[in-house]
Amino acid sequence: MLGIWIGKLILWILMLRGRDATSLPGKVALRIAPGLLRRFGGRVKRVIAVTGTNGKTTTTSLLASMVAETEPVVTNHKGANLAQGIATAFLRACSWTGRLRANTAVLEIDEATLPVVARDLPIGVIVVTNVFRDQLDRYGELDGTLAKLLDGIRQTQATLVLNGDDPLCRYLGLRSSRKVLYYGMRRETARSPRREQMRDGQFCLMCGQPLRYDGFWYGQLGLYRCEGCDFVRPHPLYQGELQGGFLRFSEEGLPALMLDLPAAGLYNAYNVLAAVSAARALGLPSAAIHGGLRAYRPPEGRMQRFDLEAPVTLHLIKNPTGCDSVLDAVVSDARAKLLVIGVNDLAADGRDVSWLWDADFELLVEDARLTCVIATGLRAYDMALRLKYAGFPESRIRLEPDLIAALKEGISSSAAAGAAMHALVTYTLLHPAARWLSERRDQLEPQGALYRTSVS
Amino acid sequence: MSRKALCIAHLYPDLLNLYADRGNITVLRRRLEWRGYDVDVVRVTHGEVPDFSRYHLVLLGGGSDREQAIVADKLRGCKAEFQSAVQDGLPVLAICGGYQLLGEFYQLPSGEKVPGLALVDMVTEAMPDAPRLIGNIAVWSEEVGVIVGFENHGGRTRHGHRPLGRVLHGHGNDGVSGEEGLRHLRIWGTYVHGPLLPKNPALADAVLRDALAYAHLPDELEPLDDRLEREARAAFAALRMADVAPMLRSEAGSP
Repeated sequence: MLGIWIGKLILWILMLRGRDATSLPGKVALRIAPGLLRRFGGRVKRVIAVTGTNGKTTTTSLLASMVAETEPVVTNHKGANLAQGIATAFLRACSWTGRLRANTAVLEIDEATLPVVARDLPIGVIVVTNVFRDQLDRYGELDGTLAKLLDGIRQTQATLVLNGDDPLCRYLGLRSSRKVLYYGMRRETARSPRREQMRDGQFCLMCGQPLRYDGFWYGQLGLYRCEGCDFVRPHPLYQGELQGGFLRFSEEGLPALMLDLPAAGLYNAYNVLAAVSAARALGLPSAAIHGGLRAYRPPEGRMQRFDLEAPVTLHLIKNPTGCDSVLDAVVSDARAKLLVIGVNDLAADGRDVSWLWDADFELLVEDARLTCVIATGLRAYDMALRLKYAGFPESRIRLEPDLIAALKEGISSSAAAGAAMHALVTYTLLHPAARWLSERRDQLEPQGALYRTSVS
Repeated sequence: MSRKALCIAHLYPDLLNLYADRGNITVLRRRLEWRGYDVDVVRVTHGEVPDFSRYHLVLLGGGSDREQAIVADKLRGCKAEFQSAVQDGLPVLAICGGYQLLGEFYQLPSGEKVPGLALVDMVTEAMPDAPRLIGNIAVWSEEVGVIVGFENHGGRTRHGHRPLGRVLHGHGNDGVSGEEGLRHLRIWGTYVHGPLLPKNPALADAVLRDALAYAHLPDELEPLDDRLEREARAAFAALRMADVAPMLRSEAGSP
């Protein structure tokens, strides 16, 4: 009980001071009461866990938004996906006596945290979005991530909702001996690869022979089959197909749904597909699915927009595949533009910044509408060096290790040039950037604040 | 200047691609192109057999244990050709997993031994309960000065050759000997990535000089404007390795 009180107290103080408390209350509460998660776990009927490398936060928010259409739900919205973040989500939702109104929790859980918390929570469904390379120094190597996921899954009796287009997810499905429901894009929409990209797990995890691809969506997601054994992309139960700005979702025997996409890009379509597949697995009605998509607001750093002196879009970058998707979105923006790229190397960012060299920054060199890049963050120099060797002219690279100074400089240069600004930042720069940009927006239009309909 | 292109082979980039070795290739290529050389980078993927008589420099990167075992298996099939080219002076830049592959074997935590190429007198063992050696690293090399980067390996390596350098900060080959990497013939073996070459231009140029000499191309490399590289080294050390920062600060100040 003491743990809950202290946790709630810290939460309350931080909120009074206008701070966004996503981890600290849970961290302290867990130190005082290590059994806290188990206690909360015993007070909800079911937990839906969302894990994987990319898209966890968006998929979790989408799914929570759909479940919230039918019942109260506990969720850790802002990507705080370690044990302390999960504890904070429960602390936020519970009363001072620890009572919860919700029976259901939709939780984003970090891959390495899943085996740690799996026994404490009544996990009924686990969604794995994909397994890409991400923060190798934290997890060791990719095979280690798979082992951790498998370990976590095996501690539960959960039904798995897996991305069947990802051979590494398929491996989890085959090795877990749990009930598995696969989702994937419609077979006919796969394309041949456009340029050399990172592809993990190109070898069959069952027998070690090369995987053959008949087509790709992105990264290693595609129509794979092993040359040496019967490892093959499963026929997905839930299928998605991009049609204009919509995702056509189909499941055999049920009428297809035309779904709104809250953000552009194939990787966002995958997030919607994952969330809707999980919603179907939970038996949610289509009204809740549609309603949840409409009510959804993109979380911090998922193409979050700010109208300042120049239009600003804030993106999170954290690994090569995710970064490539962001770079794709940036170069397909037809406006004149300026970039601020911020790289930190704290634990949550990954202390090893070598992934910058696996991301396709060469794309920026071909973008004639890109005037200048400002490198910022603790590892600003590494970012500048990456751009230099990508072939980006050194004269158009500026260095400003201080984030706020870089944002200010970027906005004033963009405004002067009539250009749009994109800010690409790693995890620990995301909250400071988002906070500063929101404050700036509030300063610019104080009179508008009363009338704004949506506040993100 | 001869118009013959320098040929760099990137062995199994589809298997050994754990730590952004693509960055090392980019640096080698750019630093030659900026000096007017023609460069030919050959990506030898899993379905192909390497032709060691064609290459002037071979890069072997890091992979997961599983992928490393596949590569070891493939390379043993053309071990004789590889060995004779190396004896003949073919430069090899081997990093992390690729470095371990050059030795006699790599022992997995399970006790299973993955045989290597035995190009050098070296063994690597990963103990089941020993921690991975992870973190920022700085090494002093007589040949190229301070080498900086990141290391992340479970294996402990011992060998009977010269080391690449002495550990100034971090773990190195085995965490206890104070030695990092290996130098033998024209082999450059190391655990340092990050990737290795962008922040270590002197090392990149030393490897390139070896390759140019082997290719009978002019190997007097004209200096490049490495100001940004030096600043990046100094900034990295100042932020993460205060003990070696003074060495790099003086270097960044030099013209």
